[in-house]
Amino acid sequence: MSLEHVVGLGIVLFAIGAAGFFLRSNTVVLLLCIEVMLNAVNLILAGFSRYLHGTEGQVYIFMIMTVAAAEAAVGLAIIVALYRLLKTLDMSRINFLKG
Amino acid sequence: MIESILFWGLALAAVSSALCVVVLRNPVNCVMALLAAMLATAGLYALMGATVLALFQIIVYIGAVLVLFLFVVMLLDLKGPAAGIPRSAAAVAVSAAAVGLTAGMAWFGWKAMNLSIPADPGGGLRPEAGVAEIALELFSRHLLVFELTSVLLLAAAVGAVLVTRKEKEPS
Repeated sequence: MSLEHVVGLGIVLFAIGAAGFFLRSNTVVLLLCIEVMLNAVNLILAGFSRYLHGTEGQVYIFMIMTVAAAEAAVGLAIIVALYRLLKTLDMSRINFLKG
Repeated sequence: MIESILFWGLALAAVSSALCVVVLRNPVNCVMALLAAMLATAGLYALMGATVLALFQIIVYIGAVLVLFLFVVMLLDLKGPAAGIPRSAAAVAVSAAAVGLTAGMAWFGWKAMNLSIPADPGGGLRPEAGVAEIALELFSRHLLVFELTSVLLLAAAVGAVLVTRKEKEPS
């Protein structure tokens, strides 16, 4: 297990999350893909924190976790409001911002 | 030896469950797959000596964020499976673009860093940064950021309540 392994795993996870974000059309799954990407970045930060012998990266990860929790709360609130308004969560049918 | 076996096992678990998040059709199954991915990541943190991070990953991500996701998915009571991955040329192109973008970003980042990577310090299974070191760092150098995140959380809570509030009929 070297730094390259950890960073490579993080990049693979980020790519999976990014591809899923563009592929899926369910709003909840889109938020889940964002969480996958955040998790991948956290993993890379933890790897650097270990291999550069610092605790700074772990402090950053705490901040990212806080932001992810806030993002999940607001995102899920938006999803609930959207579902109440349109009775669907399919992104291909939510198009009222289209000109 | 045991460390690399653990690493590859956890990495395989994380990648396969992340793929399940993308592929599975039912949103409840997707949340469960993400839970598995988070658990594998927590195991990787523990393997890298960041035991505090592994604990917080389980408490904050699995205990709070994913339970909130599951709560909302079950509350909305969606009828039938959601739309899966579309089988079209555009889907292939878009996922290839996402993967290529990530690879390009990673390549430029790696080139730009240009630092000599220190060798594996070894002894991954012992806790390196305990609560005391992280707390010292968090409450001395990063105190302002810490306070700002509390404001962010308050704003997020107020915003969530405001967004989901039912509009009163105009009288």
